[in-house]
Amino acid sequence: MEGELVYLFAGFAVFWAGLLGYLVWLQARLRALQAEVQRLEERLAEEVTPLEAPVGRAGSSARVAPEGGA
Amino acid sequence: MSWLVGQASRLYGVRWVTLPPLVGLGVFALIAGALVVAPRESVEGEVQRVFYIHFPSALTAYGALFVVFLASIALLWTKDMRWDAIARAAAGVGVLFTAFTLATGAIWGRPIWGVYWTWDARLTSTLILLLLYGGYLLARSLADPTDEQAARYGAVFAIFAFADIPVINMSVRWWRTLHPQPMVVGSDGPAMPIDMVAVLVIGLIGVGLLATWLIVLRAEAELLGVRTQALRARLDRRIGA
Repeated sequence: MEGELVYLFAGFAVFWAGLLGYLVWLQARLRALQAEVQRLEERLAEEVTPLEAPVGRAGSSARVAPEGGA
Repeated sequence: MSWLVGQASRLYGVRWVTLPPLVGLGVFALIAGALVVAPRESVEGEVQRVFYIHFPSALTAYGALFVVFLASIALLWTKDMRWDAIARAAAGVGVLFTAFTLATGAIWGRPIWGVYWTWDARLTSTLILLLLYGGYLLARSLADPTDEQAARYGAVFAIFAFADIPVINMSVRWWRTLHPQPMVVGSDGPAMPIDMVAVLVIGLIGVGLLATWLIVLRAEAELLGVRTQALRARLDRRIGA
C-alpha cells in the first residue's frame, strides 16, 4: 500500500512539476521576446533614413534629449 | 477553410478571457476525479490512478501532433508562414505530452510489470514518436524562423512522421506486447466501470484544455520570434543604408 502511494505520488509529481517548469520557461521566453520586440521597435523609430530626416545628418538619432539631462 | 480560420481567429481573440479559468476548472476536476472520486482498482490498487493522467497525456499528444500534421499541410497549401508557427507550437506541446506519457507509464509500469522500461512495441514506437518530433523541433530551432524553404522541409517531415501514430495505436494488436490491449473502448463497448470512464473523460477534457492553452502561448512566442527576426532584418537594412 505504502509502496503503491510512492509510485502514485511520483507519477503525479512528474506530470505537474513538468507542466509547471514548461509554463515558467514559456512565460520567461514570452517576456524576453516581448522586450526584444519593443527594444527593436524603439531602435527602428530612432534610426531615421536620409529621406525621412527633416533636418540634420543622415542616420542621426531623431530623439531629442530632454533639457538638463540625457 | 476560411470559415475555420475565422472561427480560430475569434477564439484566439478571447484566449486570455476564456482559456485560463477553463484550464483551472479542468485541472481541479482532473485532480479531484483521479484522487478522490474514482474507485480503487481491485487488482492494481492505488497506483492505477496514474492511468488518469497517463491516458489523457497520450491522447493529448496525438491531438497536438495532429494539429502539427494539419498545420503542415496548410503551410504547403497556402505558403502562409503563420501555419509554420502553429506547427512548431503544437509540436513542442506534443513532444512534452509524449514525454509525460512515457514517464508516467514507466512509473506505473515499475510496480505492475516489475520494470520501468522494456523494448515492447508500444513503448518503443512511442519513444520513436518522441525522437521524430524532438528532431523536427531541433531542426526548426536551428533554422531561421523566417526561412520558407526550411519551413517547407519541416512540414514534409512532420507529415511523414505522423504515420508513427497509427503504428503506435495498432502495435498492441500487431505484436505480442507487455502493454495491455485497449481497455477503455473494446470491440464490445467500454471495458471499464462507468465511474472510471467518467473520470477519464473529465481528465481528457482537463488535459486537452491545458494543452490548447499551452499551444496558444507557444504559438504567440513563435510569432514573436518571427517578428523579432523581421525587425532585426529591417534595422540591419536601415543601418546599412
